[in-house]
Amino acid sequence: MRTDRSHFPVWLWYALLCIFWWGLWGFLSKIGSVSANPLQMQILFTLGMLPVAVGMLLQMRWKLDRNVGGATYGILSGVATGLGTLGYYAALHEQDASVVTPITGLFPLLTVVLAFIVLRERLNKVQVGGIVLALASIVVLSI
Amino acid sequence: MIHWMAYAAFAIVLWGVCGLFMKLGTNRVSARSMVIWVTAGFLVLLPFMWRFTTLAGLSKYVISVGLIAGFVNGLGNWAVFACLEKGAKASVAIPLTALYPLFTVILATGFLKERPSSLQWLGIALALAGGAMLSYEPAVADVTQEERAQCAQ
Repeated sequence: MRTDRSHFPVWLWYALLCIFWWGLWGFLSKIGSVSANPLQMQILFTLGMLPVAVGMLLQMRWKLDRNVGGATYGILSGVATGLGTLGYYAALHEQDASVVTPITGLFPLLTVVLAFIVLRERLNKVQVGGIVLALASIVVLSI
Repeated sequence: MIHWMAYAAFAIVLWGVCGLFMKLGTNRVSARSMVIWVTAGFLVLLPFMWRFTTLAGLSKYVISVGLIAGFVNGLGNWAVFACLEKGAKASVAIPLTALYPLFTVILATGFLKERPSSLQWLGIALALAGGAMLSYEPAVADVTQEERAQCAQ
């Protein structure tokens, strides 16, 4: 990690870049969801994502880990994400992006709870605080 | 008509399950390989979705917006890995990137003229803070210190 305090750390640029790209995704998804149905949006999303995936494969010089268990969980992740994204686009069709995106951004709520139950991972105090705030936000935005 | 929150809950549940699969998967393959396998999962869904819909009737503008949405999401995935490779601690970087809805809120209120009510602003603030806090996982060294302290007690 860069220790020179006079410079903005390189990793922080990438983190901000990530916020920019994902934030833009939420914004563009709202624009698209006004006219396109969730299935159409997900098809376009997948096709749009392919060039980046190919670029990453090239960057990895096609050295893809082929562990069967890992690949299976990866593909299942893709299927679950893809189906979940249909719900996101459907919600965007009904409600503003400024309300829907922060709510769906709470998905780590379930991951944390499942990891606690299935993987027996321990919850830290920050995560417990996050669960309380997440549940409060869902209640407030449901009113 | 189904309430929008039901659709959002559907997304939260499936993305949450996906998070669990990701945890299990990245124990076996590298995070970068995981992105490729996840994309393969998207491709598995494509034929099923084509059965129920087509892109016919969509304007070039909407098609472009949808494609660009997928592209920028992919760039976001790439940026996360670049961030971690450049020395970021996951315990800091992941909660930070979980704040991405904040930028969507800024864009939507600025360009789409969305005007959340006071109550909705409160909910948005709680959701943003909650999302970032949920993504926090202490570094291994921190856990060890914490466990040591508990053992000492």
